[in-house]
Amino acid sequence: MNAPTAHRAFSPGRIWAIASNTLLELVRLKVFYFMLLFALLIIGSSLFMVNFTFQQQFQVLKDVSLGAMSIFTWLLAVLATAMLLPNDIEDRTLYTILAKPVPRLEYILGKLLGVLLLLAVAITLMTAVFCIVLYAREQMVLAETARVEAPSDELAAALANVKASTFNANLIPGILIIYLKAAVCAALTLLISTFASSSIFTIIVSVVVYFIGHLQPIAREYWLAALPGGADPSPFLKVLLGLVALVFPDFQLFNLVDDIVVGNAVPLAMFLKTAGLGLGYISIYTLVAYLFFANKEL
Amino acid sequence: MSAPAISIRNLTKVFPIPFKRESVVAVKELSLEVESGQVYGLLGPNGSGKSTTMKIVLGLVAPSSGSTEIFGRDSRRVESREDVGFLPENPYFYKYLTGTETLDFYGKLCGLGGKKRRERTRELLSLVGLENAADRRIGGYSKGMLQRIGLAQALVQEPRLLVLDEPTAGVDPAGSREIRDLILDFKMRGITVLLCSHLLGQVQEICDRVGILHRGVLVREGRLEELISIGNQTELILENASPDVLAEVEQVIARGHGRVVEKRKPQTTLERYFLKVTGGEE
Repeated sequence: MNAPTAHRAFSPGRIWAIASNTLLELVRLKVFYFMLLFALLIIGSSLFMVNFTFQQQFQVLKDVSLGAMSIFTWLLAVLATAMLLPNDIEDRTLYTILAKPVPRLEYILGKLLGVLLLLAVAITLMTAVFCIVLYAREQMVLAETARVEAPSDELAAALANVKASTFNANLIPGILIIYLKAAVCAALTLLISTFASSSIFTIIVSVVVYFIGHLQPIAREYWLAALPGGADPSPFLKVLLGLVALVFPDFQLFNLVDDIVVGNAVPLAMFLKTAGLGLGYISIYTLVAYLFFANKEL
Repeated sequence: MSAPAISIRNLTKVFPIPFKRESVVAVKELSLEVESGQVYGLLGPNGSGKSTTMKIVLGLVAPSSGSTEIFGRDSRRVESREDVGFLPENPYFYKYLTGTETLDFYGKLCGLGGKKRRERTRELLSLVGLENAADRRIGGYSKGMLQRIGLAQALVQEPRLLVLDEPTAGVDPAGSREIRDLILDFKMRGITVLLCSHLLGQVQEICDRVGILHRGVLVREGRLEELISIGNQTELILENASPDVLAEVEQVIARGHGRVVEKRKPQTTLERYFLKVTGGEE
């Protein structure tokens, strides 16, 4: 038998064990079937744009793809995260895990990391599908353009124009922000599931918070504009609005994709600010989730 | 002197009822000790506080007052669980993992290194008789196999204490007997076992001490023989005794002012008979 050994208060190895098992759990639940839907949507949308100019075609393709990526990663984040804790409690696997020398913080971090890995795999696959379809479309447009009879310098300029309209480096920060937004939603869903009574309740509350998060900046602007004579808000109102912003993340701040699609570059400072905000929300939600979970009676 | 495997002192657990000013007292002023190397049976009807006590010992639920220790370490501290293996009632585990993957996962949680983990996994699968099902997914395991893989995961870090909640619930007699034999084997290896069960016959067969909980209060506690033996009676089982011999024995007893309370043919247990006719007993 083992003699008592020095227990490691924090072990990345244990977190990784839980995270990799969570990823395996979600993969074996066949959540990647939605990728087929994504691929069909992108390929389908690329086929129904033959009457558009090539600039319009590429813009619509990027718009549809990034929009679909945003929705699919959000759905995946909410649905996958919502079932993790209730399933472990219902099957009593949580008892066997926490009856081992596993701190509750490590359990929460492992579960979240597992979902974040799943989202990373999902967005990488979606990006690959998007790039393949965009590349195929580009090759078709290039072939059509090359067939036009025109002076060689004009033809070269036209081909360069087509290439410039397809891929641009700005898409990468856009996709990273989509990932970060889904990660915030996953952390928020995990937090809700630590006190919710069921997966359905968790999903409903998470969806409601998502929509409030999109609407709250509009409501805030309307509220502040309604103050008589454009007066400064009272300290109480400032604190209240701050609290609302803390609980309900301002998801409009993560909507950089619209600018990116029309070809505008996202300034580095804005990207870093948005990324910092996302990481801040993830940290706060994870910490609060741990505080709830640490005192949860199982 | 080494610390007891489990020490419970003045333990009380009160569950408030949400939205009401009432509360439920699940455990009330419970004190008991389980010495190292014992098989201890915690008995009681449904709702008597057995599971709550077990969960408090394992740090899954916080006590309202009082304290619990495992080998001298406060059971609210995570490190106390290095010495405990737990098998909950009706465990399910991750259905998508095989038996080997399941033990590997729990081994990782206990910080076992790669080579040691693989060796331990093989050893445990052999101990619980699941070598042939090692690469099958848990989702396809029978009830008895689930209990056995549950016992294996509880033993993965070679704990000195095992906490078993209804380990034979829903298992057929042959499987139940195998689990009982495993528990006796653990005892031989010096592992302390805290057993919660409704199957009193089985508890009687394997436990050294028992505690009986009723409505959260420990109503009886002690060595099993002392609790259930009838002080002024003696059991005598004879083989090949003729009616004349029996008559003589009765006369001797009467001369000594004794009394024959009951005279009957000894019976085998229904379990033994069942195992015999179904080929479960060698």
